[in-house]
Amino acid sequence: MTALAELLRAPGASVEAEDDFDAVNELVRARGWGDGLPVVPPTEDRVREMLAYCDRPWHEPVAEIAPRYGEATPLRLAANAVMAGCESRYFPLLVLAIETMCEEPFNLYAIQATTHLCAPLVIVNGPVAQELNINSGHNAFGPGHRSNATLGRAIRLALLNIGGATPGSGDMSTFGAPSKYSYLVAENEAASPWEPLHVERGFPAEASTVTVAGAECPHNVNDHESLTAEGILTTIAGTMGIAGSNDVYYAAQPVVVMSPEHARTVAEGGFSKMDAKRFLQQHAHLPLGKFSRENIERRLRVTWQERYANAATDAPVFLVQNAQDIIIAVIGGAGKHSAYLPTFGATRAVTGVLKRRNGKYARSVEEFRKA
Amino acid sequence: MAELRKRGLVTAVICSDPFLTLGQNQARVFGVPDLPLVVIQHPLGGLALEGVKARAAAATPPLVNLIKAHSR
Repeated sequence: MTALAELLRAPGASVEAEDDFDAVNELVRARGWGDGLPVVPPTEDRVREMLAYCDRPWHEPVAEIAPRYGEATPLRLAANAVMAGCESRYFPLLVLAIETMCEEPFNLYAIQATTHLCAPLVIVNGPVAQELNINSGHNAFGPGHRSNATLGRAIRLALLNIGGATPGSGDMSTFGAPSKYSYLVAENEAASPWEPLHVERGFPAEASTVTVAGAECPHNVNDHESLTAEGILTTIAGTMGIAGSNDVYYAAQPVVVMSPEHARTVAEGGFSKMDAKRFLQQHAHLPLGKFSRENIERRLRVTWQERYANAATDAPVFLVQNAQDIIIAVIGGAGKHSAYLPTFGATRAVTGVLKRRNGKYARSVEEFRKA
Repeated sequence: MAELRKRGLVTAVICSDPFLTLGQNQARVFGVPDLPLVVIQHPLGGLALEGVKARAAAATPPLVNLIKAHSR
């Protein structure tokens, strides 16, 4: 392993700054780095401490982050993790999340640069979620847990500082979204009646994974009255039926987040997760006439020509093309709510698994800690 | 487009004005900082056919000039 001090001597690898919180933050603002919030100064000591949980060469890129295609080396990622306020033991998951969202099917370039307001949502599964105390319960998408807040923020800082997703020049989102500050949760596996998301996607339960989806912010589904699986799913499907969704125009993979209470009602009705997906796909639609005339003529009749070229205005337009593409995760605390997260559309969810350099599944982040 | 430019073909990217900086950045990223960017008025989406034709008309002269310059 090359010594950190030696790596930092390379041109552009480090900057000199006054050893002062405000001075460092003024420098960060002046350089156009960061997300607008104050950062923890990434001193050499703090970066070294972060890299204690890295079992790879610190200068070799793990990925290139679009749209700048900046090289995401562990060294650069560690600096961003420090700035975000991460604990060192979060670092292996940051590396994994960045690697995963840079895989081709995710289409990170478009996710970063689009006018749409999506952001990479990271869902963590497996034992590491609990080890790092990643919130999967009450307020999982909100504030209050250091791991959710800072790990999600470190991802965003890497997307900004390494990937160049600068508002207005690399990130052209018309509005942006609060999820662009931090968007990381764990699945509430203990409260789920079904197999966890990562098991459904082909990994053993003891593996730890991140699943990334180019998603919008959660939209609530209130259903305090339904007592049956069909009832809950009908309400969710009804919420999914929106005319302004990107997903209408793609073979998309929108995310349905069910609270444990809703999921339990659905499962007790005899529905497997796949059964629930089929129901949602079949019922999440709206009549063609709910779209504007221009959208019908210029887009739907063109994009789905074989289906709508001569269709009447009461023909159903499906929000999801393939049932298995719906991503269902059980997240949250008590309460009769679910959430619907439409996506960018032209993106595929990708799951990455936490492995050591020797290729073995890591059961704990401590396996990355250098002796 | 960057690959075509590197192979010596006549190339240009047409973008609407808010996307000029993104286009310039991407041209640099892909190693073709001199990639011609033909800027048209924003927006392009949602235009009636006449509006699209007007955008095309505005973009055509610079494209013709590029082709002429290349063939000299």
